[in-house]
Amino acid sequence: MTTVGEFALWIALPLSAWGMVLGFLGGRSQRGDLVLSAERSVYAVSFLLTLASAGVIAAFLGDRFEYWYVASYSNRELETFYKVAGLWAGQRGSLLFWALLLSFFSGITVFQNRRKNREFMPYVVGVLQGIMLFFVVVLLFAGVNPFERLGFIPANGQGLNPQLQNYWMTIHPPTLYLGFTAFTIPFAFGMAALLNGRLDSRWIVLTRKWTLLSWLFLTVGIIFGMRWAYEELGWGGYWFWDPVENASLLPWLTATAFLHSIQIQENRGMLKVWNMSLVALTFLLTIFATFLTRSGLIESVHSFAQELRIAYIFLSFMGSILAASVVLIIYRLPKLQSENRIESFLSRESAFLFNNLILLGAAFAVLWGTLFPLVSEGVTGEKVSVGPPFFNKVNIPIGLVLLALAGIGPVIAWRRATRRNLKKNFLWPTVAAVLAMAVLWILGAHETTALLTWGIGVFVLTVTLVEFWKGTRARARIGGEGYATAFYHLVTRNRRRWGGYIVHVGIVMVFMGFAGAAYNVDIRQHIQPGDVVEVPSPFGHTYTLTYEGLSVNSGRGQRNLNWQWIALFQVEKNGKPLGTLTTEKRRYVTAPQLMTEVGIKSSIEEDLYLILSALDDPEGALRNDPAAQGIDLQALIKPLVGWIWYGGLIMAVGSLIALWPSAERRRAPLESRDEEAAVAGTAG
Amino acid sequence: MKKHGRFVAGLAAVGLVVAYLIWTGVSETMVYYLTPTELLAKVESDPSFREVGVKVSGKVVPGTYSRVEGQLLHRFQVQDLSDESKRFWVEYSDALPDTFNDEVEVVLEGRMGADGVFHATTLLTKCGSRYEAAPEDLTK
Repeated sequence: MTTVGEFALWIALPLSAWGMVLGFLGGRSQRGDLVLSAERSVYAVSFLLTLASAGVIAAFLGDRFEYWYVASYSNRELETFYKVAGLWAGQRGSLLFWALLLSFFSGITVFQNRRKNREFMPYVVGVLQGIMLFFVVVLLFAGVNPFERLGFIPANGQGLNPQLQNYWMTIHPPTLYLGFTAFTIPFAFGMAALLNGRLDSRWIVLTRKWTLLSWLFLTVGIIFGMRWAYEELGWGGYWFWDPVENASLLPWLTATAFLHSIQIQENRGMLKVWNMSLVALTFLLTIFATFLTRSGLIESVHSFAQELRIAYIFLSFMGSILAASVVLIIYRLPKLQSENRIESFLSRESAFLFNNLILLGAAFAVLWGTLFPLVSEGVTGEKVSVGPPFFNKVNIPIGLVLLALAGIGPVIAWRRATRRNLKKNFLWPTVAAVLAMAVLWILGAHETTALLTWGIGVFVLTVTLVEFWKGTRARARIGGEGYATAFYHLVTRNRRRWGGYIVHVGIVMVFMGFAGAAYNVDIRQHIQPGDVVEVPSPFGHTYTLTYEGLSVNSGRGQRNLNWQWIALFQVEKNGKPLGTLTTEKRRYVTAPQLMTEVGIKSSIEEDLYLILSALDDPEGALRNDPAAQGIDLQALIKPLVGWIWYGGLIMAVGSLIALWPSAERRRAPLESRDEEAAVAGTAG
Repeated sequence: MKKHGRFVAGLAAVGLVVAYLIWTGVSETMVYYLTPTELLAKVESDPSFREVGVKVSGKVVPGTYSRVEGQLLHRFQVQDLSDESKRFWVEYSDALPDTFNDEVEVVLEGRMGADGVFHATTLLTKCGSRYEAAPEDLTK
């Protein structure tokens, strides 16, 4: 199987090149036979990459340690689940996995459009196969072939880093990769539009769902990564402004900007050059993210491989994409003229534009901070770096303005907002926000940034809820429906709009959760069995932790696990028992160091987070020596941290609603137009 | 047309604010990233440099790690990667990352105190972890 896979990868090379050339040729010459052949090559490459990936997985499952990749990321004892996930555990497999996902998405695109949008398809196929060719070339010639052999057969592999043996870590990379690769489709259509000259909103309408899909996966992928860091890295944080985290955030920021700005093009025929640039920029950033994660260009907790050849290949690819996009956009500038102009500073267009500008500003700041060490060393020769303080300082104010815009954008009028429109829509939300901040202040929340975040959050929530309420009420009155039915129909008849509002609710929750970090509690103590640790919560109550001592387990079913030292605590909240909580040190067969497993007790308002920082005497504890039970405990309270995960879930639900194919639009076009009129009537 | 001008001014203002945030952010939070040799030389030539926060990367000297019990304090020596004679003591009071051991490469942030001990506020391990294995190190 593995040999077949390797062979398949080699055949994918000429086939993707064939598809690329024929796609472009077919587009120029309008010859259907060439296009058809190019499209078939997409299916063929899909099939070949499936074989190649199956080959890698088979090598993992068969413990074929003669392969460098398998020997480096697996061992005999690794659980089957993680062996399958070995496909994306390291650089080499991930690149293959990237190509595989892209080939699936390309295949789906070709199939969906086999009888429609024929004016786009030749170039779309050409672009997609061109990108595919790049990845196959990287896999085969950049020293990252997953099928590379060692020349000898080690008795066992080195095993997978225990920190990666975590549920979230198996789904976090594929989710992000799905997001990255899905964005290739809007990019391909954008380029195809530039090439075939059909520069109205058609390409945007065609790829709307792909953009949303990509955004959904990016969002969920980032949240999964945060969740993994929170559970597994054992310091109570979820975001460190690490280069690789930043790299995944960058395309998210620009994709978010794109999602908003295409609405202006669809509604008002403006921002054509801007949208084209954004789609190219976002695509470049997805490549950049893949590249940064999987090369050692910038020091990061994620990447250590210093493989320079692959760096040059990636950089030249990105350079060519950039050059091609710029040249094409300039070539088509006459056809990319705006059909309208911005009429007023106070309008939805303007709010959306500011949203875009600020998102790009944030992206630039993040990129700058990430690349700063390189730039500075290149320019001044001094190695300097910026860390989390920089990113927080820059991005918190940006984030707050952005959050406020999430409340302003949806209800401010298109073209020109009147004073009456502003007052009607924003008076009560502003009152609610000020009231909420006053109440929180009285309750003792005096951190300015946190207070502002919650205030703005309440503003956005109020705006959004009022919109839902108005829409539902209008439907209920006009259609004579019950409120629940009216609400359901409201959302389902214009999924994109209302789904978007739900996403806004989610992002508000996430931001409110971030702000909770201003009230983190951190208590460290060296304790012996019987000792009691008091942890005061910012909400006023106190947790009482009674340390019951260490128990030692030998590997609990997980085959790479050698020993566990489990510290057991009885937890009481204001004297009321809450049960037990444990935090562990683990020793894995494959790693010399002890690994920490934190203990988390979650509630809606906060998490109690226990870290077994250090054991006094691990060997003594293994012998059950009663004098070796002392530990260093770190007890944290993370207020509102759960809101980040719930908010992420709401964002995912919102974007799913926006994505869901609307069967009803076809069934009842008239009805939905009535609803729009009704909503417009109440809003105007 | 007047409206348009106001609009452009608004956009420019956003750009300027972001640029200002980045500029002040960098100048206020930037830290030097040094090797132990460079740090020791800087401190020698300019004692006031002790008060400057720096980032320094080096290797933990095997056998020097100890935990000060009761104080939640970790002590170890760090040496230059290329010059083993350049070394200094480090004190760190947070939980160590799981990937820390006493021969790992670390990146520390903190200040060199007047006592000649580096007081670290953050500690990251570099090559001990293996998100990405690097068996063929092409740079060295």
